[in-house]
Amino acid sequence: MKLLRRASLRYHARHPAQLALSVLGVALGVAVVVAIDLAIQSSREAFKISAETVAGRATHTVVGGVGGLDDGLIRRLRLEVGVRAAAPVVEGVASSPTLPGMALRILGVDPFSEGPFRPFVVGGAAGLDVSSFITTSGGVVLSAPTAEEAGTALGDTLPLLVDGRMWRLPVVGLLEPSERLDRVGLRDLLLMDVSSAQEVLGRQGRLSRIDLRIPEDLQGGVLEESVRAALPAGARLEPAGTRTAALGGMIAAFDLNLTALSLLALVFGMFLIYNAMTFSVVQRRELLGSLRALGVTRREVVQGILAEAFAIGIMGAFGGVLLGVVLGRGLVRMVTRTINDLYFVVSVEGLSVPVDVLAKGAVLGLGATMLASLAPALEAASAPPRVAQIRSAVEDSARRAVPRAALAGGVLCSVGALLLAVPARSVGLSFAGLLPVMLGMALLTPLGTVGLVGLARPVLARGAGILGTMASRGVVTAMSRTAPAVAALVVAVSVTVGLGVMIQSFRSTLSRWLGGTLQADVYVSLPSVQASRAEGTLDPAVLASLTGHPEVDGWSTYRGVELDLPEGRFRLVALALDPRGEASFDFQSGGGSDAFLSFREEGAVLVSEPFAYRRGLEVGDSVTLPVARGGGRFPVAGIFYDYGSDQGVVMMSRRTFDHAFDDEGVTSLGLFLKAGSDPEAVVRELTARAPPGQTLVVRTNAALREGSLEVFDRTFQVTAVLRFLAFVVAFVGVLSALMALQLERARELGVLRANGLTPGQVWKLVTTQTGLMGVVAGILAAPMGLVLAAVMIYVVNKRSFGWTLRMEVGPSVILEALILATVGATLAGLYPAWRMSRTSPAQALRGE
Amino acid sequence: MSVGRGAGAGVSRIMPAALLATALISAVSGCGRDDAGTSAVLSLTETLGGADTVGYARAVDPRPFTFPLDHGPHPDFRNEWWYVTGNLADSSGRNVGFQLTLFRSSLAPAAPETKSAWATNQAWMGHFAVTDEQGGRFRSFQRFARGAVGLAGAEPDPLNVWVEDWSLRGDGPGVPWPLRLRAADGEVALDLVLDPGKPAVLQGDGGLSRKGPEPGNASYYYSFTRMPTRGQVVLEADTLQVVGASWLDREWSTSALPQGVDGWDWFALQLDNGWELMVYALRRADGSAHPLSDGVLVDPSGGRHPLAYGTDIVVLPTDTWTSPLDGSLYPSGWTVTLPGRRWSLEVQPVLENQELDLAFRYWEGAVAVSGTDGDRALGGRGYVELTGYAGSRPER
Repeated sequence: MKLLRRASLRYHARHPAQLALSVLGVALGVAVVVAIDLAIQSSREAFKISAETVAGRATHTVVGGVGGLDDGLIRRLRLEVGVRAAAPVVEGVASSPTLPGMALRILGVDPFSEGPFRPFVVGGAAGLDVSSFITTSGGVVLSAPTAEEAGTALGDTLPLLVDGRMWRLPVVGLLEPSERLDRVGLRDLLLMDVSSAQEVLGRQGRLSRIDLRIPEDLQGGVLEESVRAALPAGARLEPAGTRTAALGGMIAAFDLNLTALSLLALVFGMFLIYNAMTFSVVQRRELLGSLRALGVTRREVVQGILAEAFAIGIMGAFGGVLLGVVLGRGLVRMVTRTINDLYFVVSVEGLSVPVDVLAKGAVLGLGATMLASLAPALEAASAPPRVAQIRSAVEDSARRAVPRAALAGGVLCSVGALLLAVPARSVGLSFAGLLPVMLGMALLTPLGTVGLVGLARPVLARGAGILGTMASRGVVTAMSRTAPAVAALVVAVSVTVGLGVMIQSFRSTLSRWLGGTLQADVYVSLPSVQASRAEGTLDPAVLASLTGHPEVDGWSTYRGVELDLPEGRFRLVALALDPRGEASFDFQSGGGSDAFLSFREEGAVLVSEPFAYRRGLEVGDSVTLPVARGGGRFPVAGIFYDYGSDQGVVMMSRRTFDHAFDDEGVTSLGLFLKAGSDPEAVVRELTARAPPGQTLVVRTNAALREGSLEVFDRTFQVTAVLRFLAFVVAFVGVLSALMALQLERARELGVLRANGLTPGQVWKLVTTQTGLMGVVAGILAAPMGLVLAAVMIYVVNKRSFGWTLRMEVGPSVILEALILATVGATLAGLYPAWRMSRTSPAQALRGE
Repeated sequence: MSVGRGAGAGVSRIMPAALLATALISAVSGCGRDDAGTSAVLSLTETLGGADTVGYARAVDPRPFTFPLDHGPHPDFRNEWWYVTGNLADSSGRNVGFQLTLFRSSLAPAAPETKSAWATNQAWMGHFAVTDEQGGRFRSFQRFARGAVGLAGAEPDPLNVWVEDWSLRGDGPGVPWPLRLRAADGEVALDLVLDPGKPAVLQGDGGLSRKGPEPGNASYYYSFTRMPTRGQVVLEADTLQVVGASWLDREWSTSALPQGVDGWDWFALQLDNGWELMVYALRRADGSAHPLSDGVLVDPSGGRHPLAYGTDIVVLPTDTWTSPLDGSLYPSGWTVTLPGRRWSLEVQPVLENQELDLAFRYWEGAVAVSGTDGDRALGGRGYVELTGYAGSRPER
């Protein structure tokens, strides 16, 4: 055993590059997994802490429908129902020019009601000066570190931008967070009196929610019933944390997609390990044979190889965890930015690095390494105790394995296809189906390689003569080495291509959709921290002034509110539609003039595709909403394509909305201009019509479209980064495989050199061979990438977000795959070619 | 310090006033308690810091009182309260003492200028306590609320003063009489009807009660010292039909406590002979009585008879009681003698522990009076308030 260990050490010491690449492969795989995990965990943790901070010790919450709750409800609950602990809450989102990039959460509270709920409001030795908190109009309290960051202090003011209006709010108190949890939870919090919050947010008379404490005993049960009975239409009582849980659930699909992509990097890492270990075993067959002859048992050989893998795994996992933390710091900003854009406001102070995430990454990396090394280890044990085994025997068996691998690949593909065809909505299941498809296709690549190389041989023979023939034959004769390399390259390129096609299809679908949806010439809205979830309303006077512009020919108004229902959050939109705006809907089902008639006149609603998908709705079904008046059931007249929200949108006519809700607000405005008007000029003039202190976002159709695509690109940044990282891991794998392959041919090339092959011809031979492998991989990767893209688009995306995307494949995709694979393989062949050409034949043959 | 005649009469209730603003500020903190109520503990000295008087109305000169209007709020002044105590009994002789106090405090001279209905400068606090003599239980509760969106407030006509569901209303035919007092918390509830009994007693100088030598450091103060009371008391499972007598103090001011006062012992006794006795000793750090300590007698027709503290009336503690909360030592039981009238009274708490452990700690409880007027027996009932003892551990 000692002998074995020494032999193993010696071998790796003599092949440091090989060892380094193996470790790097594991490290990169682990790093990507750890980084994504950390980024997700950090944003989730930040969200959870801030939600808990704001929720305090409430046991229940009363929430309203559109526009929240009426002020008077608090009196009713406290005086008539007799709920002792009931606290009003007004919430909103703002930003401050002194805190760039941070979405600030306004929390409006009544300090007299706060005692049982949020200790930070009133606790602490410093204490809050309740008098000035309540009686200073717009008085704000924030955490001391945030105040410092903003360069403000007690007695100063904080500039605050809310729905485009700039306020200068007096700082009447500072919170000194005593522990980490407080620091995280309070970081982006602006505490205000409920009166100030209503004023600043323009929500006089309305509360976002009422927090309650209801004991869990029998009396509490009775009280709960009395509270329910006292609630007005549209309001409901729910256990505290329901909303937080629902919001957390919203990003589950998003998380899963990122995690799956990160695991892909690890799978590539496994390929790499497999390659490296296989190669090292193959290269040591003679040595292992000798050792076996000296009495080393099979078992000991397996153990020895696995011990090597373990050491590599440990090194790789350790490095990967470190690298992952570094990478995570960069990714967490992108992940939170996307969550902010698409789901809810969360601000992450820094990366939290829970040990369990690191441990998980390390174990995953180590496990993957061991798993990938199992086959090579078993192969090593099979080396008979003879001094040498004929190399051709290995290759013979490798070639015989090609059809068997293809068969297995076919089976795996079918299994994957079956799994994907299961009509379930589970996102996890779709990834579970995707994995065997990818493995199956990887197993099919040797067959494809043999076929393609056979086709290429005459071409190469004509173009490069004997060298061409040698290069092409070399690919097939060294199947045990070339097949994994080609397969790795194929998978890497296909994933890159597949994700690329998916993103491109998504983007062009969105772009086309925007083109259809944005029918008006000029759009007006308020600036918002949240990309697509603005709730601030335009002042009626401003509205009148804008629509009164002489170039304006007609307009649609839009009122969007986020509704949190037990079954999830979605956006409710009230539309007062200019007839020209009807063309903006692209219906998946329903629609048409009848649908618009019932939409306008009969209280029907139009729902977006994700909304219908999530709830299994069809045209003719109805949607129940928490209305202030009326029955609250709205028939669905049409399901339209919409890519603005994966949580879904319900649209009703303004008339229907006004019947059901008490809310006169208008969130945004689409203006149709007279023929021949210059939209840019109108935009300038309308922007100037904003009252002092109020910023309006006035954009032309084109500018809004561009802005929306920008948000899209931002949300896909993480995916793009992952795609790149996965490719890097795969590239390292291919590099290591090709390098090993060519280095192993040292003796063969030495013989060729001795027989007169010039260094230049060695160059040509090696690069032609790797180039050929690249071309083969590229050709095989293109269809595989398309299959991958199709699965991502039609299965994963649909199940994750409910969107139907139109798959778009240009000829460039195939070309891209070819270029990527060829360039990748050629690059990977450069170093071995350079080394081979420099080695003197004598040295290469010294071993003879 | 020379204090004018009658100047002190009515300092009695100054404590809550001085405390209120600060109490409200700190009391909203939960102090880690997990109950539904708000609570905090303040030391008395902490609350004695001079609050700003700029921008508020002040009691400078005597003024005519206009009823029923003056039963209502005076929001220009910084502090104001409606302070009701009483001793009641049901037909079986079960005795119940109660205290309901509604404090109003202005947090700033004016409300912030916003359109929000929550905007206010008015803060309210309520204290509610019930003494079940035979049951041997004392319970106390508090409420805080802002004077907005109907949570708490005061309206003159018809009279309505409320802190959440604790209220004093006067919409009776006698404008505002009779008053309706309602308070409940958990398993304890009061629903009482109060008649005026005697006319209002204007305390101090025709209702102007001075708190110190400087002008404006005074309050407007009147009392109803014996209000026939009837109604219903709920004590857990028992609902009692009760009758008895209550005492109402009404005071509003923008004033501060006299310097150097650590606390006080205040007595409001309703005697069987139709007279009421109010007396208080303001305690200084060395234990001596501040010159503003004073007393007053109200005769059966409502006439006011001032008493000079220490000469016309002598109060001596006879026993002590140790608070189980922290060992603070309170006096418990007194002899009160009026040498000029040959009255000698023994005042005994009906329960030893009537300490309110609320935003600030004090002892306020029902007492029984027994004694003699010359050679005739003289008994009665009343309320005693003891402040400044909490945290006073016996050193000797």
